[in-house]
Amino acid sequence: MPIGILALKVGMTQVFDAKGNAEPVTVLQAGPCPVLQIRTKEKDGYDAVQVGFLDKSRKRATRAERGHVSGELSSKRRERIKQGGTSDTMTAKADCEPQKFIREFRLEGPATVAVGAKLTVGEVFKDGQKVDVIGTTKGRGYTGTMKRWNFAGLPASHGAKKNHRSVGSTSSLASNRGFGRPKKGKKMPGQYGAERVTTRNLEVVSIDAENNVILIRGSVPGHNNGLVMIRPSNKVKRTGK
Amino acid sequence: MKNAVMKMVDDKAAAASKAAREKAKGDSQHKNFQVGDTLDVHLRILEGEKERTQTFTGVVISKTGSGLVEAFTVRRIVQGEGVERIFPLHSPLISKIEVKRTGVVRRAKLYYLRDRVGKATRLRERKPKA
Repeated sequence: MPIGILALKVGMTQVFDAKGNAEPVTVLQAGPCPVLQIRTKEKDGYDAVQVGFLDKSRKRATRAERGHVSGELSSKRRERIKQGGTSDTMTAKADCEPQKFIREFRLEGPATVAVGAKLTVGEVFKDGQKVDVIGTTKGRGYTGTMKRWNFAGLPASHGAKKNHRSVGSTSSLASNRGFGRPKKGKKMPGQYGAERVTTRNLEVVSIDAENNVILIRGSVPGHNNGLVMIRPSNKVKRTGK
Repeated sequence: MKNAVMKMVDDKAAAASKAAREKAKGDSQHKNFQVGDTLDVHLRILEGEKERTQTFTGVVISKTGSGLVEAFTVRRIVQGEGVERIFPLHSPLISKIEVKRTGVVRRAKLYYLRDRVGKATRLRERKPKA
Protein backbone atom coordinates (compact mmCIF):
# COMPACT_ATOMS: atom_id res chain seq x y z
CA MET A 1 0.00 0.00 0.00
CA PRO A 2 1.51 3.31 -1.05
CA ILE A 3 2.00 6.20 1.30
CA GLY A 4 -0.97 8.43 2.02
CA ILE A 5 -1.94 11.34 4.18
CA LEU A 6 -4.11 12.11 7.21
CA ALA A 7 -7.01 14.53 7.01
CA LEU A 8 -9.98 15.96 8.85
CA LYS A 9 -13.38 15.79 7.22
CA VAL A 10 -14.67 19.34 6.95
CA GLY A 11 -18.02 18.74 5.30
CA MET A 12 -19.77 18.35 1.99
CA THR A 13 -20.68 20.85 -0.70
CA GLN A 14 -20.86 20.93 -4.47
CA VAL A 15 -18.63 22.34 -7.19
CA PHE A 16 -19.15 22.69 -10.92
CA ASP A 17 -17.05 20.82 -13.45
CA ALA A 18 -15.91 22.12 -16.85
CA LYS A 19 -19.23 21.22 -18.44
CA GLY A 20 -21.19 23.03 -15.75
CA ASN A 21 -22.42 19.90 -14.01
CA ALA A 22 -22.67 20.05 -10.24
CA GLU A 23 -20.44 17.52 -8.54
CA PRO A 24 -21.02 16.44 -4.94
CA VAL A 25 -17.73 16.70 -3.06
CA THR A 26 -16.36 16.16 0.41
CA VAL A 27 -13.97 18.83 1.63
CA LEU A 28 -10.98 17.49 3.58
CA GLN A 29 -8.32 19.41 5.43
CA ALA A 30 -5.34 17.20 4.62
CA GLY A 31 -1.86 17.42 6.04
CA PRO A 32 0.87 18.51 6.18
CA CYS A 33 1.96 15.29 7.82
CA PRO A 34 5.49 14.99 9.25
CA VAL A 35 7.09 11.57 8.92
CA LEU A 36 7.80 10.50 12.49
CA GLN A 37 9.28 7.05 12.09
CA ILE A 38 10.20 4.51 9.43
CA ARG A 39 9.36 0.89 10.12
CA THR A 40 11.72 -1.57 8.49
CA LYS A 41 11.50 -5.25 7.79
CA GLU A 42 14.73 -5.96 9.71
CA LYS A 43 13.76 -4.16 12.86
CA ASP A 44 9.97 -4.23 13.00
CA GLY A 45 9.10 -7.12 10.70
CA TYR A 46 7.27 -4.95 8.20
CA ASP A 47 7.79 -1.84 6.09
CA ALA A 48 5.72 1.20 6.94
CA VAL A 49 5.82 4.94 7.40
CA GLN A 50 4.52 6.53 10.55
CA VAL A 51 3.06 9.99 10.03
CA GLY A 52 1.56 12.56 12.35
CA PHE A 53 -1.11 15.16 11.84
CA LEU A 54 -2.00 18.35 13.70
CA ASP A 55 0.21 19.78 16.41
CA LYS A 56 -0.57 19.20 20.02
CA SER A 57 0.55 21.68 22.63
CA ARG A 58 3.68 20.55 24.48
CA LYS A 59 1.86 21.07 27.74
CA ARG A 60 -0.84 18.60 26.82
CA ALA A 61 1.54 16.00 25.41
CA THR A 62 3.04 13.30 27.59
CA ARG A 63 6.82 12.99 27.95
CA ALA A 64 6.74 9.95 25.70
CA GLU A 65 4.90 11.88 23.01
CA ARG A 66 7.36 14.74 23.22
CA GLY A 67 10.37 12.43 23.17
CA HIS A 68 8.96 10.59 20.16
CA VAL A 69 9.17 13.66 17.95
CA SER A 70 12.17 15.46 19.38
CA GLY A 71 15.74 14.50 20.14
CA GLU A 72 16.13 17.59 22.33
CA LEU A 73 14.25 16.19 25.30
CA SER A 74 16.79 14.83 27.69
CA SER A 75 16.47 11.62 29.61
CA LYS A 76 18.73 9.38 31.62
CA ARG A 77 19.10 7.01 28.69
CA ARG A 78 19.87 9.82 26.24
CA GLU A 79 22.43 11.29 28.62
CA ARG A 80 24.14 7.92 28.76
CA ILE A 81 24.18 7.70 24.96
CA LYS A 82 25.68 11.17 24.77
CA GLN A 83 28.46 10.16 27.14
CA GLY A 84 29.04 7.10 25.00
CA GLY A 85 28.74 4.64 27.86
CA THR A 86 26.38 2.26 26.05
CA SER A 87 25.99 0.57 22.70
CA ASP A 88 22.56 2.25 22.38
CA THR A 89 22.12 4.79 19.60
CA MET A 90 19.71 7.65 19.16
CA THR A 91 17.03 7.04 16.56
CA ALA A 92 16.24 9.72 14.00
CA LYS A 93 13.57 12.16 15.16
CA ALA A 94 11.26 14.35 13.08
CA ASP A 95 12.03 17.39 15.22
CA CYS A 96 8.51 18.81 15.22
CA GLU A 97 5.76 19.57 17.73
CA PRO A 98 4.00 16.62 19.41
CA GLN A 99 1.31 15.29 17.10
CA LYS A 100 -2.38 14.89 17.85
CA PHE A 101 -2.90 11.97 15.49
CA ILE A 102 -0.32 9.34 14.59
CA ARG A 103 -0.99 6.64 12.01
CA GLU A 104 1.01 4.22 9.90
CA PHE A 105 0.88 3.48 6.20
CA ARG A 106 2.08 0.00 5.32
CA LEU A 107 4.43 -0.18 2.35
CA GLU A 108 5.29 -2.92 -0.11
CA GLY A 109 9.01 -2.21 0.03
CA PRO A 110 11.45 -0.03 1.96
CA ALA A 111 10.33 3.55 2.47
CA THR A 112 11.60 6.24 0.12
CA VAL A 113 10.93 9.14 2.51
CA ALA A 114 13.09 10.13 5.44
CA VAL A 115 12.13 10.92 9.01
CA GLY A 116 11.34 14.61 9.32
CA ALA A 117 9.98 15.00 5.80
CA LYS A 118 6.65 16.81 5.55
CA LEU A 119 4.05 15.18 3.35
CA THR A 120 1.57 17.55 1.70
CA VAL A 121 -1.50 16.89 -0.42
CA GLY A 122 0.03 18.59 -3.41
CA GLU A 123 2.94 16.17 -3.45
CA VAL A 124 1.14 12.97 -2.56
CA PHE A 125 -1.96 13.25 -4.75
CA LYS A 126 -2.95 14.76 -8.06
CA ASP A 127 -6.23 15.78 -9.69
CA GLY A 128 -8.34 12.98 -11.09
CA GLN A 129 -6.52 10.30 -9.13
CA LYS A 130 -8.47 7.49 -7.49
CA VAL A 131 -8.07 7.26 -3.73
CA ASP A 132 -9.28 5.17 -0.80
CA VAL A 133 -10.53 6.91 2.31
CA ILE A 134 -10.40 5.13 5.66
CA GLY A 135 -12.43 6.47 8.55
CA THR A 136 -14.60 5.64 11.53
CA THR A 137 -18.29 5.68 10.66
CA LYS A 138 -20.87 7.60 12.64
CA GLY A 139 -21.86 5.62 15.73
CA ARG A 140 -25.52 4.71 15.86
CA GLY A 141 -25.44 2.82 19.14
CA TYR A 142 -27.33 -0.39 19.78
CA THR A 143 -29.78 -0.62 16.92
CA GLY A 144 -32.43 -3.07 15.82
CA THR A 145 -32.35 -5.20 12.71
CA MET A 146 -34.50 -2.87 10.61
CA LYS A 147 -31.97 -0.08 10.83
CA ARG A 148 -28.85 -2.22 11.00
CA TRP A 149 -29.59 -4.86 8.38
CA ASN A 150 -32.56 -3.40 6.51
CA PHE A 151 -34.91 -6.15 7.69
CA ALA A 152 -38.52 -5.62 6.69
CA GLY A 153 -39.91 -5.98 10.21
CA LEU A 154 -43.22 -7.61 11.00
CA PRO A 155 -46.67 -6.68 9.65
CA ALA A 156 -48.35 -3.54 10.90
CA SER A 157 -51.66 -5.36 11.19
CA HIS A 158 -53.11 -8.82 10.51
CA GLY A 159 -52.83 -9.76 14.16
CA ALA A 160 -49.27 -8.51 14.76
CA LYS A 161 -49.02 -7.43 18.35
CA LYS A 162 -46.40 -5.15 19.86
CA ASN A 163 -43.55 -6.48 17.76
CA HIS A 164 -43.74 -4.61 14.49
CA ARG A 165 -39.98 -4.01 14.34
CA SER A 166 -38.70 -7.27 15.77
CA VAL A 167 -36.25 -9.72 14.20
CA GLY A 168 -38.71 -12.46 13.40
CA SER A 169 -37.65 -16.06 13.38
CA THR A 170 -33.98 -16.61 14.21
CA SER A 171 -33.76 -20.33 13.61
CA SER A 172 -35.61 -23.57 13.15
CA LEU A 173 -34.65 -27.22 13.18
CA ALA A 174 -34.28 -27.13 9.42
CA SER A 175 -32.32 -23.91 9.14
CA ASN A 176 -29.09 -25.23 10.56
CA ARG A 177 -29.10 -28.92 9.66
CA GLY A 178 -30.87 -30.26 12.63
CA PHE A 179 -29.47 -28.03 15.35
CA GLY A 180 -32.13 -25.99 17.02
CA ARG A 181 -29.77 -23.00 17.19
CA PRO A 182 -29.31 -19.88 15.14
CA LYS A 183 -26.66 -20.08 12.46
CA LYS A 184 -23.29 -18.50 13.15
CA GLY A 185 -23.28 -14.94 11.90
CA LYS A 186 -27.07 -14.55 12.04
CA LYS A 187 -27.93 -10.89 11.57
CA MET A 188 -29.20 -9.61 14.89
CA PRO A 189 -29.59 -6.30 16.75
CA GLY A 190 -26.38 -4.82 18.12
CA GLN A 191 -23.85 -2.02 17.94
CA TYR A 192 -24.05 -0.28 14.57
CA GLY A 193 -21.51 2.23 13.31
CA ALA A 194 -18.39 3.62 15.00
CA GLU A 195 -16.32 1.06 13.10
CA ARG A 196 -13.39 1.39 10.74
CA VAL A 197 -14.52 1.50 7.14
CA THR A 198 -12.63 1.92 3.88
CA THR A 199 -14.41 3.59 0.99
CA ARG A 200 -12.48 2.68 -2.13
CA ASN A 201 -12.00 4.18 -5.56
CA LEU A 202 -13.07 7.76 -4.90
CA GLU A 203 -12.02 10.44 -7.36
CA VAL A 204 -9.95 13.47 -6.43
CA VAL A 205 -11.83 16.44 -7.88
CA SER A 206 -9.32 19.12 -7.02
CA ILE A 207 -6.44 19.90 -4.73
CA ASP A 208 -5.67 23.23 -3.13
CA ALA A 209 -2.01 22.68 -2.25
CA GLU A 210 -1.65 26.14 -0.81
CA ASN A 211 -4.35 25.67 1.81
CA ASN A 212 -3.88 21.90 2.23
CA VAL A 213 -7.41 21.19 1.10
CA ILE A 214 -8.51 18.28 -1.04
CA LEU A 215 -11.91 17.77 -2.65
CA ILE A 216 -13.05 14.20 -3.14
CA ARG A 217 -16.09 13.22 -5.16
CA GLY A 218 -18.81 11.58 -3.09
CA SER A 219 -18.97 10.89 0.60
CA VAL A 220 -16.38 9.57 3.03
CA PRO A 221 -16.91 7.69 6.31
CA GLY A 222 -17.44 9.51 9.60
CA HIS A 223 -18.76 12.75 10.94
CA ASN A 224 -17.49 16.24 10.26
CA ASN A 225 -14.23 17.00 12.06
CA GLY A 226 -13.46 13.27 12.15
CA LEU A 227 -10.04 11.91 11.24
CA VAL A 228 -9.65 10.00 7.98
CA MET A 229 -6.72 8.44 6.16
CA ILE A 230 -6.39 9.01 2.42
CA ARG A 231 -4.21 6.76 0.29
CA PRO A 232 -3.91 6.07 -3.43
CA SER A 233 -6.51 3.47 -4.31
CA ASN A 234 -5.45 -0.15 -4.24
CA LYS A 235 -8.36 -1.13 -6.40
CA VAL A 236 -6.97 -2.73 -9.53
CA LYS A 237 -8.54 -1.62 -12.77
CA ARG A 238 -9.81 -4.68 -14.54
CA THR A 239 -8.26 -5.01 -17.96
CA GLY A 240 -11.20 -6.48 -19.84
CA LYS A 241 -10.97 -7.80 -23.35
CA MET B 1 -12.19 25.60 11.42
CA LYS B 2 -15.03 24.00 9.54
CA ASN B 3 -16.76 27.17 8.46
CA ALA B 4 -13.59 28.92 7.38
CA VAL B 5 -12.44 26.11 5.11
CA MET B 6 -15.93 25.52 3.78
CA LYS B 7 -16.36 29.18 2.98
CA MET B 8 -13.02 29.23 1.21
CA VAL B 9 -13.98 26.29 -1.01
CA ASP B 10 -17.39 27.79 -1.72
CA ASP B 11 -15.96 31.20 -2.52
CA LYS B 12 -13.44 29.68 -4.86
CA ALA B 13 -16.07 27.70 -6.77
CA ALA B 14 -18.35 30.74 -6.87
CA ALA B 15 -15.52 32.82 -8.28
CA ALA B 16 -14.94 30.21 -10.98
CA SER B 17 -18.61 30.35 -11.99
CA LYS B 18 -18.47 34.11 -11.98
CA ALA B 19 -15.46 34.04 -14.29
CA ALA B 20 -17.31 31.68 -16.62
CA ARG B 21 -20.27 34.06 -16.69
CA GLU B 22 -18.08 37.04 -17.41
CA LYS B 23 -16.43 35.13 -20.22
CA ALA B 24 -19.88 34.52 -21.68
CA LYS B 25 -20.52 38.26 -21.40
CA GLY B 26 -23.29 37.89 -18.88
CA ASP B 27 -23.71 39.44 -15.45
CA SER B 28 -20.79 39.07 -13.16
CA GLN B 29 -23.16 39.22 -10.23
CA HIS B 30 -26.66 37.82 -10.29
CA LYS B 31 -29.33 40.35 -9.48
CA ASN B 32 -31.27 39.88 -6.34
CA PHE B 33 -34.59 38.31 -7.03
CA GLN B 34 -37.30 36.98 -4.82
CA VAL B 35 -39.91 34.28 -4.85
CA GLY B 36 -42.81 35.50 -6.97
CA ASP B 37 -40.62 37.35 -9.44
CA THR B 38 -40.85 36.65 -13.15
CA LEU B 39 -37.40 35.95 -14.56
CA ASP B 40 -35.59 35.54 -17.84
CA VAL B 41 -32.90 32.94 -17.21
CA HIS B 42 -30.26 33.00 -19.92
CA LEU B 43 -28.65 29.61 -20.32
CA ARG B 44 -25.51 28.76 -22.20
CA ILE B 45 -26.04 25.62 -24.25
CA LEU B 46 -22.85 23.91 -25.30
CA GLU B 47 -23.14 21.92 -28.50
CA GLY B 48 -19.73 20.56 -29.22
CA GLU B 49 -17.63 23.58 -30.13
CA LYS B 50 -20.54 25.92 -30.61
CA GLU B 51 -22.30 27.77 -27.88
CA ARG B 52 -25.68 29.41 -27.95
CA THR B 53 -28.00 31.02 -25.47
CA GLN B 54 -31.44 29.84 -24.50
CA THR B 55 -33.88 31.75 -22.37
CA PHE B 56 -36.26 30.24 -19.87
CA THR B 57 -38.96 32.62 -18.68
CA GLY B 58 -41.20 31.98 -15.72
CA VAL B 59 -42.13 32.64 -12.11
CA VAL B 60 -39.79 31.77 -9.27
CA ILE B 61 -41.77 29.48 -7.00
CA SER B 62 -39.04 28.45 -4.55
CA LYS B 63 -35.50 29.09 -3.42
CA THR B 64 -33.59 26.40 -1.57
CA GLY B 65 -30.18 25.87 -0.04
CA SER B 66 -27.51 28.32 0.93
CA GLY B 67 -24.00 29.14 -0.15
CA LEU B 68 -22.85 27.37 -3.27
CA VAL B 69 -25.69 24.87 -3.08
CA GLU B 70 -28.37 27.54 -3.47
CA ALA B 71 -30.93 26.78 -6.16
CA PHE B 72 -34.23 28.16 -7.42
CA THR B 73 -37.23 26.74 -9.22
CA VAL B 74 -38.83 28.52 -12.17
CA ARG B 75 -42.31 27.58 -13.33
CA ARG B 76 -43.90 28.42 -16.63
CA ILE B 77 -46.78 27.19 -18.74
CA VAL B 78 -45.82 25.72 -22.11
CA GLN B 79 -48.71 24.80 -24.40
CA GLY B 80 -51.08 24.43 -21.48
CA GLU B 81 -48.66 22.22 -19.58
CA GLY B 82 -46.82 23.36 -16.47
CA VAL B 83 -43.03 23.13 -16.76
CA GLU B 84 -40.67 23.60 -13.85
CA ARG B 85 -36.90 23.85 -13.99
CA ILE B 86 -34.55 23.88 -11.04
CA PHE B 87 -31.38 25.94 -11.55
CA PRO B 88 -28.32 25.97 -9.31
CA LEU B 89 -27.87 29.68 -8.64
CA HIS B 90 -24.09 29.54 -9.06
CA SER B 91 -24.08 27.38 -12.16
CA PRO B 92 -21.56 28.60 -14.74
CA LEU B 93 -24.14 27.75 -17.40
CA ILE B 94 -26.43 30.57 -16.31
CA SER B 95 -25.05 33.62 -18.08
CA LYS B 96 -27.66 36.13 -17.02
CA ILE B 97 -30.76 36.47 -14.86
CA GLU B 98 -33.17 39.27 -15.68
CA VAL B 99 -35.99 40.26 -13.39
CA LYS B 100 -38.95 41.08 -15.61
CA ARG B 101 -41.61 41.61 -13.00
CA THR B 102 -41.89 41.41 -9.25
CA GLY B 103 -44.93 39.79 -7.69
CA VAL B 104 -46.59 40.28 -4.34
CA VAL B 105 -46.43 37.01 -2.44
CA ARG B 106 -47.09 36.06 1.15
CA ARG B 107 -45.17 32.81 1.40
CA ALA B 108 -41.74 31.41 0.63
CA LYS B 109 -42.87 28.54 -1.57
CA LEU B 110 -45.52 29.12 -4.24
CA TYR B 111 -46.41 25.48 -4.70
CA TYR B 112 -50.08 26.45 -4.67
CA LEU B 113 -49.60 27.77 -8.21
CA ARG B 114 -49.36 24.17 -9.37
CA ASP B 115 -53.01 23.63 -8.56
CA ARG B 116 -54.15 26.71 -10.42
CA VAL B 117 -54.80 27.33 -14.09
CA GLY B 118 -55.31 30.36 -16.27
CA LYS B 119 -56.08 33.66 -14.65
CA ALA B 120 -55.75 32.27 -11.14
CA THR B 121 -51.97 31.89 -11.59
CA ARG B 122 -51.45 35.64 -11.88
CA LEU B 123 -49.60 37.47 -9.14
CA ARG B 124 -50.17 41.09 -8.23
CA GLU B 125 -47.24 43.27 -9.25
CA ARG B 126 -45.21 44.88 -6.53
CA LYS B 127 -44.63 48.50 -7.23
CA PRO B 128 -41.35 49.96 -6.11
CA LYS B 129 -41.79 52.31 -3.20
CA ALA B 130 -41.63 55.95 -4.19
